[in-house]
Amino acid sequence: MPAARITILVVDDEPQIRRVVKHALEDSSTRVLEAANARAGLDIAAAERPDLIVLDLGLPDGNGEDVTRELRGWTQAPILVLSARHSDAEKVALFDAGGDDYVTKPFSPAELKARVRALLRRAMTAAADGATKIVREDLVIDLEKRAVKLGGSPVHVTPIEWDLLVALATHAGRVMTHQQLFTAVWRGRDHGDAQQYLRVYVAHLRRKLEADPVRPRFIFTIPAVGYRFGP
Amino acid sequence: MSNKRPPQDSATKIALTGIAIGAVVFLLVDWFVLPPVHTLVIANPLDWLLLLPFSVISIVVAQYVQHKREAARLEALREVDRLKDALLASVSHDLRTPLTTIKALAHELGALGDERSQIIEEQADRLTHLVTGLLDLSRLSAGAMPVNVQLNAVDDLLTAALQDTESQAAGHALITELPRDGTMLVGRFDLALSVRILVNLIENAIKYSEPGTAIRLRARRQQEKLLLSVEDSGPGVPTGEEERIFTPFYRPAGARPDAGSAGLGLAIARLMAEGQGGAVTYERDAGGSTFTLELPAADLRAE
Repeated sequence: MPAARITILVVDDEPQIRRVVKHALEDSSTRVLEAANARAGLDIAAAERPDLIVLDLGLPDGNGEDVTRELRGWTQAPILVLSARHSDAEKVALFDAGGDDYVTKPFSPAELKARVRALLRRAMTAAADGATKIVREDLVIDLEKRAVKLGGSPVHVTPIEWDLLVALATHAGRVMTHQQLFTAVWRGRDHGDAQQYLRVYVAHLRRKLEADPVRPRFIFTIPAVGYRFGP
Repeated sequence: MSNKRPPQDSATKIALTGIAIGAVVFLLVDWFVLPPVHTLVIANPLDWLLLLPFSVISIVVAQYVQHKREAARLEALREVDRLKDALLASVSHDLRTPLTTIKALAHELGALGDERSQIIEEQADRLTHLVTGLLDLSRLSAGAMPVNVQLNAVDDLLTAALQDTESQAAGHALITELPRDGTMLVGRFDLALSVRILVNLIENAIKYSEPGTAIRLRARRQQEKLLLSVEDSGPGVPTGEEERIFTPFYRPAGARPDAGSAGLGLAIARLMAEGQGGAVTYERDAGGSTFTLELPAADLRAE
């Protein structure tokens, strides 16, 4: 059924890495295209409109941040970044530019597959937008009624916690940087020194939603970068 | 660095050499030039006036030349250090591509049923660990590790540390203990670095205690400090070795050479803690070992 085929583009200058990614992801329903540099990657992405892009952060002819920003100019396809231990600042810049998730080299094919699957799943559900409820296990977020229920019982959240939760849950599976969360929650509000309290607000929200606040089911910590809702 | 002599030492050396050269010049001029020639007698007192400045000038010139040479030597050493760091960074970066390929191919072989593939994967992971450790140690000892101190919740620290360790804790129960009254512990620290310290301490506890035993993670506040303890029920560090375990490449006496560690974890943990105003300490009691990460605590403004 060629119509339902998924197309993934991998942009990496190392042929061995492209081979590994291709081998891990290609099957009867998925085809993997390859590009060896940023220029070719952007050209192929424009011509083939892939459903997901696997992008190396250290390309010879352009940094991952610029490539991501250029892609984001016209596509919402998830971008999974491959990084070889780049600095935290570089990772943050990449997410702020619109990257969705990253794996650090050396990664295992299983890890890569899991991340790609999660990103594709999110992209599919996002396509069916207009949903008024986000349901994850026994957590129900009712966007219309501005209400949160956990295991059937209502959970009281403050306005800031509500905005944080919505910002995270509507981008499920995607890493949200501290800056992105801050912009989503405090836009139009009196800032004060809110930004430095962001992490504390998340910790309070997590204590309301998670049975064990240090083994979360919903809100995961990505050190130095931000948070991710869902696995 | 062990190959750099302490500066006071080389300064003394330069001074002594200068004085020695000055004295030799003094004697040579006296012997060959000042009448009566070929004696050390100075007949004319005015000759002293000639000789003294002459000797002083030779001392100063000798010292200056020596000093220049010493500076050049130190600069050369610094250059070697820089090269070493650049080399380490580039090697660590470039090793990641082949390691990814090796892991992936081992994984594919494993899918075909070859059990040896698992060993290949494990060894690739071990190599990654070692390369990461060497790079960290090099950055830390050069004072080049970026530190980003922010207001952070201890919940985040424990969450991220457990995310990284729980899957490899095979057989160990990781028990977490937060303040019972539900107090939210917060502090000013670098989250990413602190997570790596805690992960190091937990991995250490997993390695050096029997499977099936519990590892306790306890977070509490003591005055201006946050204390994060990792308690295991292993045999502990031998008496007298409690400080040496924090030196790089330390290995317990009698440990198998392939105990799966290069002895970098604790050295790195301590340097990373000190870099953000914290500490890592060790204590032992009848029940086992306790490693504690201390970080600066913070107070939340009443809202």
